[in-house]
Amino acid sequence: MEETIISVQNLSKAFGDHEVLRKIDIDVKAGEIICIVGSSGSGKSTLLRCINKLERQTSGKIMYHGSEVKDVQKEINRYRSKVGMVFQSFNLFNNKTVLENCMLCTRKVLHLTKQEAFDRAITHLKAVGMAPYIHAKPAQLSGGQKQRVAIARSLCMNPEVLLFDEPTSALDPEMVGEVLNVMKELAATGLTMIIVTHEMAFARDVSTRTIFMDRGYVAEDATPQELFTNPKNPRTREFLSRYLAG
Amino acid sequence: MAVILPSIDNPGTSIEWMIFLARKYMSMFLEGTKLTLYIAVTGTLLGFVLGYIIGIIQDIKISPGDSAVKKIFLRILKVAAAVYVEAFRDTPMIVQAMVVYFGVQQFTGINMSPAFAGILVTVLNTGAYMSETVRGGIGSIDVGQREGAWAMGMSPMKTMLYIVLPQAFKNIIPEMANTFLTNLKMTSVLNVIAVQELFMAAKTVGGNYYKYFESYLVIALIYFVLCFVFNRIFIRMEKRLAGRSDYVLAVEYMDNQ
Repeated sequence: MEETIISVQNLSKAFGDHEVLRKIDIDVKAGEIICIVGSSGSGKSTLLRCINKLERQTSGKIMYHGSEVKDVQKEINRYRSKVGMVFQSFNLFNNKTVLENCMLCTRKVLHLTKQEAFDRAITHLKAVGMAPYIHAKPAQLSGGQKQRVAIARSLCMNPEVLLFDEPTSALDPEMVGEVLNVMKELAATGLTMIIVTHEMAFARDVSTRTIFMDRGYVAEDATPQELFTNPKNPRTREFLSRYLAG
Repeated sequence: MAVILPSIDNPGTSIEWMIFLARKYMSMFLEGTKLTLYIAVTGTLLGFVLGYIIGIIQDIKISPGDSAVKKIFLRILKVAAAVYVEAFRDTPMIVQAMVVYFGVQQFTGINMSPAFAGILVTVLNTGAYMSETVRGGIGSIDVGQREGAWAMGMSPMKTMLYIVLPQAFKNIIPEMANTFLTNLKMTSVLNVIAVQELFMAAKTVGGNYYKYFESYLVIALIYFVLCFVFNRIFIRMEKRLAGRSDYVLAVEYMDNQ
């Protein structure tokens, strides 16, 4: 059995009176590609942000290799350097070029030498097909290009797990494909990934495990074959039928 | 400057008086201009530094995971910053000058030179306004910029330093230019603590011949020229900082060759 990297335990999150996540339990094992699907407002993105500690949970805990990630800034920083995140709105640093975007954190967080950081940046930018654009600023790139750079930037940290928060939702239909292709290639390398997405075909074909979230609960947690062809939960069925019809 | 001004022995009209006074008290006006510039430049630059520090302090979020000592320290720091900003934004600079100058004298026995006191007041005044500008500048940067850095393990302080501040800085350049021009003119109130700047020079010169209108008109012209010139410089700097809008493709990494 593969080792558990991240374990979400009894996690709840409320914004005021509004409960967004209710007692979530998820174990993420090395090499898993988990797609989280569900309608808007079901808590998918909040869950991902809690896993990266961008949101503080109301109760419950996040375990990393068997020990709790405490709310101490240094510990959070160390944890985040191993658990990267790709955002819906890319969040590339607007004041930096593509190359600088990919080198900043490896230099300042991992303290790599300039040459090491450069080599890593070029390797990953080449992999996503963005190496020719190293001198461009984010504002000069298309959405798909930005997202590919953002993925390369996260990979430069050599993360153990990479979280994707609706990475294609802000993209034109034409650009969705280029980003999904990069993610498919990543999946093939064995990187552990947790992906919040509305791309059902992608979830079905690429994930090793699909989680359906509904109103803050994990409604169903199964293999994609099971979840897409034979959903147990009536809410899953309803969601999927609407998706396939629409 | 003395060369381009004609010498006038019996001034009659206001213009003649202005030329006469400017020639006769040239060194006084020049010294005044120098001191005005010195106080404005030093005071503004140091004030900016103070403003950035205070602005960053006000932006720090106390996180529940911090140790008790750190929490208390940050609270005290934030309250002190807030009190300082409020005090200096809610009182006139001319009063601040008096209070600082005479206050320091009375309570510490230290006799500051008027010029030093002038710079101190300018720094404190600028810092208070600047901190609000910095806070606004920081607030204008999308939170996603920070989250992008945090999500890769960068500390909030480094994120502030490498990502947020450089972008905020660019956004508040016009406001910083504004502050400098304001300070250049506000140094005139420092004559109340006997700083020998331009206003003081005009007052002295005017008193010698009872020609106040002409004397003040001379320094009005000097202030105008200074501000006008600095304004042009700032506009140019801003354009230069805007940077290139194009980029060069790194052809060495094109894979279709």
